[in-house]
Amino acid sequence: MNIVACVKQVPDTEALIKVKPDGSGIDEGGIKWVMNPYDEYGVEEALRLKEAKGGEVTIVSVGPARAMETIRTALAMGAEKGVHVSDPLLDNTDAYTTAAALAAVIKGLNPDIIFCGQRAIDDDSGQVGSILAAILGIPQVTIVTKLEMADGKIKAIKPIEGAQLVIESTLPCVITTQKGLNEPRYASLPGIMKAKKKPVDVKNAAALGIATEPKAKVAKMTPPPDRAPGKIIAGDDPAAKAAELVRLLREEAKVI
Amino acid sequence: MAKKFMSMRNLHFLLYEVFDTASLAKYPFFSDHGKETFDMVLETGMKMGRDILYPALAEMDRNQPVFEKGTVRVHPVVETVVKECGGGGWIGAHASYELGGQQIPNTIMTAFRGIFAAANYSASVYPFLTSGAAHLIASFGSKELIDTYIPRMFSGQWQGTMALTEPQAGSSLTDLTTTATPTDKGYYLMKGQKIFISCADYDCVENVVNLMLARIEGAPAGIRGISLFVVPKMRPDEKGKLVANDLNCVSIYHKLGYRGAPITQLALGENGDCRGWLVGQPHKGIRHMFQMMNEARIEVGMGAAAIASAAYYASLEYTMERPQGRKITSKNPEEPQIPIIEHADVKRMLLFQRAVVEGSLSLIFQCAIYADLVNVTDGEEKETNELLLEILTPIAKSYPSEMGILSVSQGLQCLGGYGYCDEFPLEQYYRDVRIHPIHEGTTGMQGMDLLGRKVVMKNGKAFMLFLGEAEKTIAGAGSIDELKSCAEALTTALERLKEVTGALTGLAVKGDIEVFLADATLYLEMFGITAIAWQWLIQGITAHHALAKLPAAQDALFYKGKLATCRYFFEYELPKTQGLATRLMRSGDGLTVKMEKEWFGD
Ligand SMILES: Cc1cc2nc3c(=O)[nH]c(=O)nc-3n(C[C@H](O)[C@H](O)[C@H](O)COP(=O)(O)OP(=O)(O)OC[C@H]3O[C@@H](n4cnc5c(N)ncnc54)[C@H](O)[C@@H]3O)c2cc1C
Repeated sequence: MNIVACVKQVPDTEALIKVKPDGSGIDEGGIKWVMNPYDEYGVEEALRLKEAKGGEVTIVSVGPARAMETIRTALAMGAEKGVHVSDPLLDNTDAYTTAAALAAVIKGLNPDIIFCGQRAIDDDSGQVGSILAAILGIPQVTIVTKLEMADGKIKAIKPIEGAQLVIESTLPCVITTQKGLNEPRYASLPGIMKAKKKPVDVKNAAALGIATEPKAKVAKMTPPPDRAPGKIIAGDDPAAKAAELVRLLREEAKVI
Repeated sequence: MAKKFMSMRNLHFLLYEVFDTASLAKYPFFSDHGKETFDMVLETGMKMGRDILYPALAEMDRNQPVFEKGTVRVHPVVETVVKECGGGGWIGAHASYELGGQQIPNTIMTAFRGIFAAANYSASVYPFLTSGAAHLIASFGSKELIDTYIPRMFSGQWQGTMALTEPQAGSSLTDLTTTATPTDKGYYLMKGQKIFISCADYDCVENVVNLMLARIEGAPAGIRGISLFVVPKMRPDEKGKLVANDLNCVSIYHKLGYRGAPITQLALGENGDCRGWLVGQPHKGIRHMFQMMNEARIEVGMGAAAIASAAYYASLEYTMERPQGRKITSKNPEEPQIPIIEHADVKRMLLFQRAVVEGSLSLIFQCAIYADLVNVTDGEEKETNELLLEILTPIAKSYPSEMGILSVSQGLQCLGGYGYCDEFPLEQYYRDVRIHPIHEGTTGMQGMDLLGRKVVMKNGKAFMLFLGEAEKTIAGAGSIDELKSCAEALTTALERLKEVTGALTGLAVKGDIEVFLADATLYLEMFGITAIAWQWLIQGITAHHALAKLPAAQDALFYKGKLATCRYFFEYELPKTQGLATRLMRSGDGLTVKMEKEWFGD
């Protein structure tokens, strides 16, 4: 099996995010970077598939130089090799361009199956896996929480509102992974030691022959407005206070 | 609940900026490593700490181990922790490649263990107790013992322990009576009783391997008649099948804190069939065991600093959010209340915690580096590292342990009444941290070790080396204006320490040993504060130079915090040595020695 897992480096969920004063993006100073948690499920599933069926796992990431750490983390978990698309022209690019870069790499890898996180926790766009499948002209199953493979086909479970779908697909295909699919492993120490020696190809946009001009741009980023201060209903009479509360919920908060 | 228990930024500062651990790679033993590996090791430790250990912190406290059906039921997370640490290669990480380890420097694994200890001290002891026990077998055991035990210990299948204490032999190991009777079959028959043995029996591990001190029948009395044995709970028979080894847990103790790890009472050889295998040479057990004890002492220091670190971050979070009172200068009750972190006295409590936590961590890493260098250097260089490690070990154990209690207490104080209640973790940290001055040699024993042995050994060579190191640091600070007063204060403190040391050893020369050692704990305290001041000056110098390079905004805040805490230590903590010196210069009066026990009554 030739398995590909796409990973993105994102700010740690616990990092304190500050928007740059000019609204062009976030202030990256002091941020800890980690593998997008949804991608971890993808890497884990790729490794399990390899362990069950044989083959190898290639990690592909589009991101600045620091994204190499995330590729190494996936290699330390057990993947065989990596491809790092690193090009200043692609920094903070849009979903389409990212998918185009991934597709350019992945075409050459000839994979049986490709894993992407269902979305990245930084921009929450949730499009890369789908665009990638479209560019490659292969099926996709999104937001998968269970995956089986037999007879050259996959059977995936995807939860939807109030039910779940069981979807079969031919290979190759793109799977976007959701929490619940598995418990990602921790990098092991022997894995960390081996990861250093595993090959990672670094490529830029020109080498891949892709257009770098994003189709969509973030025009402005603004932090959410500060929460308005709470209101304390004063008074000694509980009944009057309750009545006031109901009035406020109805007239001001408009929730009842 | 606070999520931060240890600062990765501070670990990076200490490991890479203060102590250049990446440069250990220049020694062949560590040549496969570098910052990249270390970063991944620390990241993995932090992730495991955050995902596995920390969520079980309060649960393990509230659901203590239970002794039932002859074994001890522990919290299920223990199984996960041990399995992940075994499977991930963390138990044997420091060991050589031949033994199945990865030759990771002790310094890095000290940080890794510190992260675990800060996340959940109880859960952290299981895997790393095994590391220490396995290391002892690796250092002194026969090939057969190594082959039988090490792989299963490194994999986490078998738990390791250190089994020294007996009812009549705690601090005084001389008095231990567990006996080992030689047989002609290569093993000894063990008989006796051990108490307080951590993790020596529990339900979710296949076997337990006790590294045990005992007396070979007919051995000379005293410390020179004690030998080291491997005494497993289950012994592998000829076919490798595990059979019971007549070693039973008979009860467990219920503790103030650190409740997630059981301490057991063990009965050996009740049916005359408990087998033990000698490790190293007969009658050299204490010397062998000391290898593990010295490592364990630094680890205890780390345990204390780590719990205090977790308490600091929990209290910091609270003080940022809790509105209470107004600026002392504000007269207007209509103004909103301010978060308590804006009150000077609350800042003092936070600074105190930082000073203790980060000063302790620095000294612990300093010792860990010496330990790494001892392993990879030769000749005089090796001896220097050895002596520095030896003299600083009792301090690296005791300063964090004793001051950790005060530090957590200040953390608890920051929360006022909530600190005293179990909705917040501070009360647990306060109970958990209390173990550290007790196990691995009480503070009293550390004091006597420092003054009675370490300071005077080799004609004071270790002491002179320590002074030399501190003076080098002072020289490095000399040209830095903002650290000048700190450097001067440290010079004075070293003079004071020399003077006190001279006065005390003078008592020893006169032959008045009891009086000489009567205030050893105070001496330890004074030496400890001085050594931590030295570490703060090292950190201050590093932060000063880093700040001069105009770092990114976030880093600048970090370095400013470092420098302020450094100054705090010199202004608020170091002066305490004056009071201690005042007393120690008069120790010759033998005040405590002369106190009669009958006078204590009423
Ligand atoms: C939670 C916990 C875990 C432990 N884990 C282990 C373990 O895994 N393995 C193990 O072998 N042991 C273990 N111990 C035992 C521990 O190491 C001992 O409790 C410790 O060494 C002190 O011995 P003791 O309790 O007998 O106290 P004592 O030796 O009775 O000491 C009581 C007090 O007297 C003082 N004192 C004693 N002798 C002298 C002296 N000569 N001069 C001056 N003062 C003196 C001590 O400093 C102390 O303050 C553990 C204990 C606890 C509480």
